[in-house]
Amino acid sequence: MSNSTGSGGLELQGLKKILGGRVIIDDLNLTVNKGEMVSLLGPSGCGKTTTLRMIAGFLIPDAGRVVLAGNDVTNTGPEKRPSAMVFQNYALWPHMSVYKNVAYPLKLRKMNKSEITKRVHNVLELVNLMHHKDSRPSQISGGEQQRVALARALVQEPDVLLLDEPLSNLDAKLRVKVREDIRDLQRRLGITTVIVTHDQDEALSISDRIAVMNGGRIEQFSSPQELYDRPATEYVANFIGSLNHLTGDYSNGRVTVGTKTIGIRPEDVHFTSTNESNGFEATVDHVVPRGHFSEVYLKREDAELRAFMSTNIPAVGEKGYAVIKKALIYENGKLLKVE
Amino acid sequence: MDKTNSINNQESFAVNKTAKLSWFGFFMALPPVLVIICFVGAPILIAAGLSLGFTGGPNRIIALIGQEISTKTHWWGTLDGYKSVINDPRFGGDLRVTLGVTVVATTIVIFMALGMAIYRRVIGGRLATILVSLSLIPLFVPVVISAFAIRTFYDGTGFVKSLLTHFGIDFPTLTMTNSAIAIGTIWTSLPFAILMISSGLQAIPDALIESAQDAGASFIRIIYTIMVPLAFVPIVIATTFTAIGIMGSFTIPYFLGPNQPAMLGVEITNFFNSYNRPQQSVVMAFVIFGAASLIAIFYVWANLRSAKQSGRI
Amino acid sequence: MSRKQVSLVNIFISSFIAFMALFILGPLIWLAVHAFATSWTYPNLLPDGFTFTWWKTIAGDQELVKSVKNSLLISPIVVLISAVVCLPAAYAFSRYQFFGRKSFLIGMFAANAFPKIGLYASIATLYYTLNLMGTIVGVIIIQLLGTIIFMTWIPAAAFGSVPRNLEDAARDAGASKLRTFWDITFRLALPGILVAMVMSFLASFDEAQGTYLVGVPTIYTMPTKMYALVLNYPVQIAAVFSLLLAIPSVLLISIARKHIIGGQLADGFQIK
Ligand SMILES: Nc1ncnc2c1ncn2[C@@H]1O[C@H](COP(=O)(O)OP(=O)(O)O)[C@@H](O)[C@H]1O
Ligand SMILES: [Mg+2]
Repeated sequence: MSNSTGSGGLELQGLKKILGGRVIIDDLNLTVNKGEMVSLLGPSGCGKTTTLRMIAGFLIPDAGRVVLAGNDVTNTGPEKRPSAMVFQNYALWPHMSVYKNVAYPLKLRKMNKSEITKRVHNVLELVNLMHHKDSRPSQISGGEQQRVALARALVQEPDVLLLDEPLSNLDAKLRVKVREDIRDLQRRLGITTVIVTHDQDEALSISDRIAVMNGGRIEQFSSPQELYDRPATEYVANFIGSLNHLTGDYSNGRVTVGTKTIGIRPEDVHFTSTNESNGFEATVDHVVPRGHFSEVYLKREDAELRAFMSTNIPAVGEKGYAVIKKALIYENGKLLKVE
Repeated sequence: MDKTNSINNQESFAVNKTAKLSWFGFFMALPPVLVIICFVGAPILIAAGLSLGFTGGPNRIIALIGQEISTKTHWWGTLDGYKSVINDPRFGGDLRVTLGVTVVATTIVIFMALGMAIYRRVIGGRLATILVSLSLIPLFVPVVISAFAIRTFYDGTGFVKSLLTHFGIDFPTLTMTNSAIAIGTIWTSLPFAILMISSGLQAIPDALIESAQDAGASFIRIIYTIMVPLAFVPIVIATTFTAIGIMGSFTIPYFLGPNQPAMLGVEITNFFNSYNRPQQSVVMAFVIFGAASLIAIFYVWANLRSAKQSGRI
Repeated sequence: MSRKQVSLVNIFISSFIAFMALFILGPLIWLAVHAFATSWTYPNLLPDGFTFTWWKTIAGDQELVKSVKNSLLISPIVVLISAVVCLPAAYAFSRYQFFGRKSFLIGMFAANAFPKIGLYASIATLYYTLNLMGTIVGVIIIQLLGTIIFMTWIPAAAFGSVPRNLEDAARDAGASKLRTFWDITFRLALPGILVAMVMSFLASFDEAQGTYLVGVPTIYTMPTKMYALVLNYPVQIAAVFSLLLAIPSVLLISIARKHIIGGQLADGFQIK
């Protein structure tokens, strides 16, 4: 194996980690290009934090290598790695002011005072916190604490920025705003970033690529669009977006008797009053308004389909035709084809 | 709820992570343990030997000087030392005073502490702060001073008697009575009990109390169904430490109690210093230790139970 | 509660506070006044006159002054030694899992529950064997015993309550393990350590019986002298001496009061 990846980003090769006698991470491979923003997405307990902690150096993998910016750091302690982490509940030091929290990493690097001041002020301005520089972490809000944690990581000018569910402690509104801010900063600074999240919206909206994790492995690693359009496994398809499940065979917009699993995105189901393109008869069972669109439940004697519609919402009880525009067909959990 | 759970999980895993069996930790923890083994553990063993009539080895000189020493008759020793103490008519009275004072004073201390701590937790405010701060003062007063101060306060020319004389009341002199011992031990034990219980009660989240109020529980009911169970371990710790402390106390009963019958802590000293009967003195120490151990079991049980409940072991 | 009930409760609480003030402070004040009293006629509530003679008597008594010096010398040494011996152990108890950990903790507690007076015969024997009788070292060891439980348990709880991710964050920022310990762990556990030191100081400063046994007649400390004073001198002398004896405690209250009330002491007494 060579020592350098050439990409200058981050490379995980065959990582394995056993904790408490259980294999938590198994043969995990991942390459993050320089300047790229990658999400680790998966349900709670699938090993995202464990992976991140191996990248940061808090855990030494039982097998495999971690390569950061071309250097093998597998056995390097966290203090010597060119990575910086934003912890889930921020981990700000309560006995230091905001300024001191941010300045601490630079002080450890034996930088001179004026240089430290300059860089800390720069980064505090970047995250809009200059007015709080002398406050204690306990005196500022959750969103502000989050930005301090981010500033403390950014001030180190790391080769790789690691974020562990950075938004999970914020309320819904703030979450959307802060994630845009993070994405914006990341783009501007061109910093290689790995962000852990269990929220698909978050992952889809800010990542260049997403690694969907399941039980300590990566199920699929691709762009958000690809992930949505061609989920490689049934697991990914279920995890990303909504899905109607049917069992059978599929051809030409019709579901026939069979054993495959057919996944249909609700937005790919249309409902019309006249049968123009190979639809089948269905009745509107109920309608759930979701703001800018409505969730329409369509019923046939043997099956139920959900459709997302934003115009021409039908009334309950209305009869018509359901048309399937696109279906994902899986056999043994693997994607067979998209029709 | 879900979120807090997952955070808690992460933290407890973090604990496990460093919690591997560590020789490094073992050796770091060793020094105070060694000091205790050498200067408390070994003397306890030697004393146990003396109490059972092992008069050789380290006990040789003391057995020579001391009076009424029984020497071992079996390979395991003899119980004659214990028998002579139990058959001594003074011992019964001493034991009764010791246990009586311990039970009465502990009960009063715990109830006072509970009352004040509950008041502070539920109502709070300036009065509560004053009350608690006041009760903590004895923690900082050396026990010799406390004993001496209380003695002068309640004695024949003390404040209490002087004051009440002005109202024509002939108040009894408390100094040199068991009541004075109780007053003294309550005075000195109160701070620790309050600290323990109050910190236990303060740790109960408001939401738990408010939701019970919301469900229509009366004040009294909230106390015994929510607050006391949730602060159970601190209350047990306060009770056991108070009781053990009172049972083995010397200074307070020495300054404040009657000559006869006296608390065992005083008698141990008397037998050792004044009567030159070290074996009986040691036997009495083991009687106190036995009683203290029974109480201590309760303490250990409560701690382990709570550790188990919170998944720490 | 109705307004009437509330005011009833308030009246009750106020009178209870008055009672507690008398109960707790009464003896101390009564004693303090004695330190400045010429003489006292029963049943007056005030002394016949005020004077400083008793203070001068004490200042002129070489033996008493010596005991003050001894106390002020020995107790800080005891606290320092105790810290050196116990703080690493406290850290180990909070951070490592090792063979005998629980037994160590419970053993310390058991040792504390044994009435010390019952050990004096054997301790004396041990001291004679080790040539410690009547030496400063002997007194220091005896006083050390009473501080161990404070100096181990309270800091152990304090170290234990420092969140791990704060340490991780420091490592991530580039701090070595040692640096992380000083800048984060130790710094955040400091209030607990402070409380432990105050409690240890008071325990050592108060210790009388053990000190009496191994120190007398060569080494007198303030509390051992106090026993003699109470029995052989006028009340006023003992009162003056009590006030002197109380000064360090009062000073220490002001330093550590906030943390002691804040629960650092209480946390230390739960086995974890
Ligand atoms: N120190 C540990 N000891 C044992 N099991 C652990 C430890 N840390 C984590 N785990 C287990 O590893 C799995 C993955 O944990 P984690 O990486 O924190 O998941 P995520 O961050 O994806 O929610 C979980 O099932 C958890 O129970
Ligand atoms: Mg996680």
